[in-house]
Amino acid sequence: MTLVHNWHLGRRMEYPYFESRPKRQFAAIFNINRCIACQTCTMACKSAWTYNKGQEHMWWNNVETKPYGGYPQSWDVKTLKLIDNGENTWYTDEKDEKLSPYGVYEGDTIFEAASKKNINQWAVGYIPEDKEWRSPNFGEDVAKSNKPDEYSSLPEHSRWFFYIQRLCNHCTYPGCLAACPRKAIYKRKEDGIVLIDQKRCRGYRKCVEQCPYKKPMYRGLTRVSEKCIACYPRVEGKDPLTKGRPMETRCMAACVGQIRLQGFLDDNPKNPVTWLIRHDKLALPLYPQFGTEPNIYYIPPRWAPRAYLRQMFGPGVDEAIDKFMVPSRERLAVMSLFRMAQSIIFEYKIEEGPKVFETTIHGKKFEMYNDTVIGFGEDGQEIVRTTIEEPIHIRDPKHYNSI
Amino acid sequence: MKKGFSLFKLCSATLLGTVFLSAALFAAEETAPGVKGMSDEEFTPTKEVLNVKYVQMDKPYHMDVESLKGAFKDAGAVKVVLQKQDKAFPNGGGSVAGAEVKAIHDGITIYFQITWSDPTKNARTIAVQEFRDAAALMFPLGAVEITPAEHFSPRMGDREKPTNLWHWKADWEADLLVKGELEDVEVQYPNMHDDFNFNPYSAYYHRELITSVEVLSGGRAANNLLSQPGRGRTVEDLNAEGFGTLTTQDHQDVNGCSHYEDGVWTVIMYRSLITQDPHDVQFVPGGNAFFNMAVWNGGEQDRNGQKNISTQWHPATLEKVAWQ
Repeated sequence: MTLVHNWHLGRRMEYPYFESRPKRQFAAIFNINRCIACQTCTMACKSAWTYNKGQEHMWWNNVETKPYGGYPQSWDVKTLKLIDNGENTWYTDEKDEKLSPYGVYEGDTIFEAASKKNINQWAVGYIPEDKEWRSPNFGEDVAKSNKPDEYSSLPEHSRWFFYIQRLCNHCTYPGCLAACPRKAIYKRKEDGIVLIDQKRCRGYRKCVEQCPYKKPMYRGLTRVSEKCIACYPRVEGKDPLTKGRPMETRCMAACVGQIRLQGFLDDNPKNPVTWLIRHDKLALPLYPQFGTEPNIYYIPPRWAPRAYLRQMFGPGVDEAIDKFMVPSRERLAVMSLFRMAQSIIFEYKIEEGPKVFETTIHGKKFEMYNDTVIGFGEDGQEIVRTTIEEPIHIRDPKHYNSI
Repeated sequence: MKKGFSLFKLCSATLLGTVFLSAALFAAEETAPGVKGMSDEEFTPTKEVLNVKYVQMDKPYHMDVESLKGAFKDAGAVKVVLQKQDKAFPNGGGSVAGAEVKAIHDGITIYFQITWSDPTKNARTIAVQEFRDAAALMFPLGAVEITPAEHFSPRMGDREKPTNLWHWKADWEADLLVKGELEDVEVQYPNMHDDFNFNPYSAYYHRELITSVEVLSGGRAANNLLSQPGRGRTVEDLNAEGFGTLTTQDHQDVNGCSHYEDGVWTVIMYRSLITQDPHDVQFVPGGNAFFNMAVWNGGEQDRNGQKNISTQWHPATLEKVAWQ
């Protein structure tokens, strides 16, 4: 084991390989507050990559309802139990913007739990059986009663649920990559995408066992495992539609609810993804305590009990929800870029516009300016231009009833 | 000997190339991570020598355990002690305590017979939680001396010390018996639904879909032998030079047969004594050889390093061909 820095945990942790970050990291932000679980992303992925025989149970992208849903069933609860040492707490008194933005995690990661339990494996994990993969919609739209003595109380409603959109997190420290005894799994230096080499894979299912998010899946027909490939031909700009520009994945581009923004985590503070994750801290990682530094980030839902959300997204939840409910001028502008283009946006610029609205939200003053936000591609060319207030188009009366 | 060394180099280059390609992001380490040290005892071969008996025989028409029973009748057996693999992560195994090995040759082909107890027969790996029963023989590649002074790891070999492995798989045996030589998912899930049926014998054969199946099946498109239908054999011919380096050979030379009865597996692996492949171990009648072995118990979720291994090389001598 070597020691690597995991900024989600705010500390160094054990990992089988040295720290080796990609030049830029495939990442995405999902706004849970806007998702309606229409599963368009799920079907976009299915129809592109997993419609073949032997892949019937595979949903590289899925949307499940929390708290009861799970694909495979109860994946998160089962893994959380494996790392539970009774003291999985966070120290949040001191933070460092770069190294420990959420504080310091004091519990065990999947790697450290395996080390402590002395099980002679790289990480703790389990293999979900075929029946656990069978019902991806299990628990959909089932609400949880919020009894006053459980979790924390909700101000207005006594029942809650929310949707969580999941795909491979293309982790910085992937559990699957660590688990593979023959290094058939690799993380690309150019974009951080994690792939299974279909020639080297021997179907041992160690990745299925030790990925805490359960995103590598075994294919009985070919006797090897497969996983989300982050639509790498599109990300590489191979799709003719974007003329060589990096393009968003199928699941991102298909999002009807406009909840998704894909990009690369890099050092550019004017990269919308980097800004929302690293600078604004509006979007948070899913189960950071697993220790893999996942790269799909979530804007947590406003209405669910905070204790539940803190377990799921770490201690940054309260700040993120406060920021989401009363967005700043820049935040509102950057959030307008969600699903505005199929090409990946590498940088944004805001042109200031007039103040159009003013109110008070939960006692805080909110001002809305009709700014124009511009998204630029990898080549610096303008990809998209939009305003905070959606433009109104009035149809000519003669077209009222025509399509 | 000099020629043998250059063969090692050639083999190492191929193997290492593959490994570094996959792990290009990570610095190469002298000792693989998660590997504990080995003792001198492990570098000393066992005292008991396996006599590879020369048997004059006609190759049976059906190569099966029953037909070869007579040929193995007078061959001496070596008892191999097996234990849990406890050096490289992931550790595992330990459910099979030992196996019995016999070997014969007829001047053309060499046959190894392994017998061990396993209360459960696991001959399918289609469901995610199911693992196969398997057995493997390992041979050092080239002419080597194995002594504590001249380390040659009995655990998958080492860098510059490549090995040739023969890996018999219970599910490959089952694959051979079905049309198309690959057990399909319907065998595991008889009433399953699939959106696209790639079976060329089905009522709604669709040429474009059939021809695109390779592209849509990662393992097949990548020419992974495990994913291919119609392999025509039950034993995989591989090379390794240390943990995590196991690589399927381009040229497959080994075959085998098996029989399971009353909780006992009898597996026979055979190959011609000499092959053209520089990555294969070669056997010379009248000469010596070393072997080591491992057994996987699918019922205990054994696979990869989670296996029952012997921690020492076993010497073997091949009887001379008796001309009549």
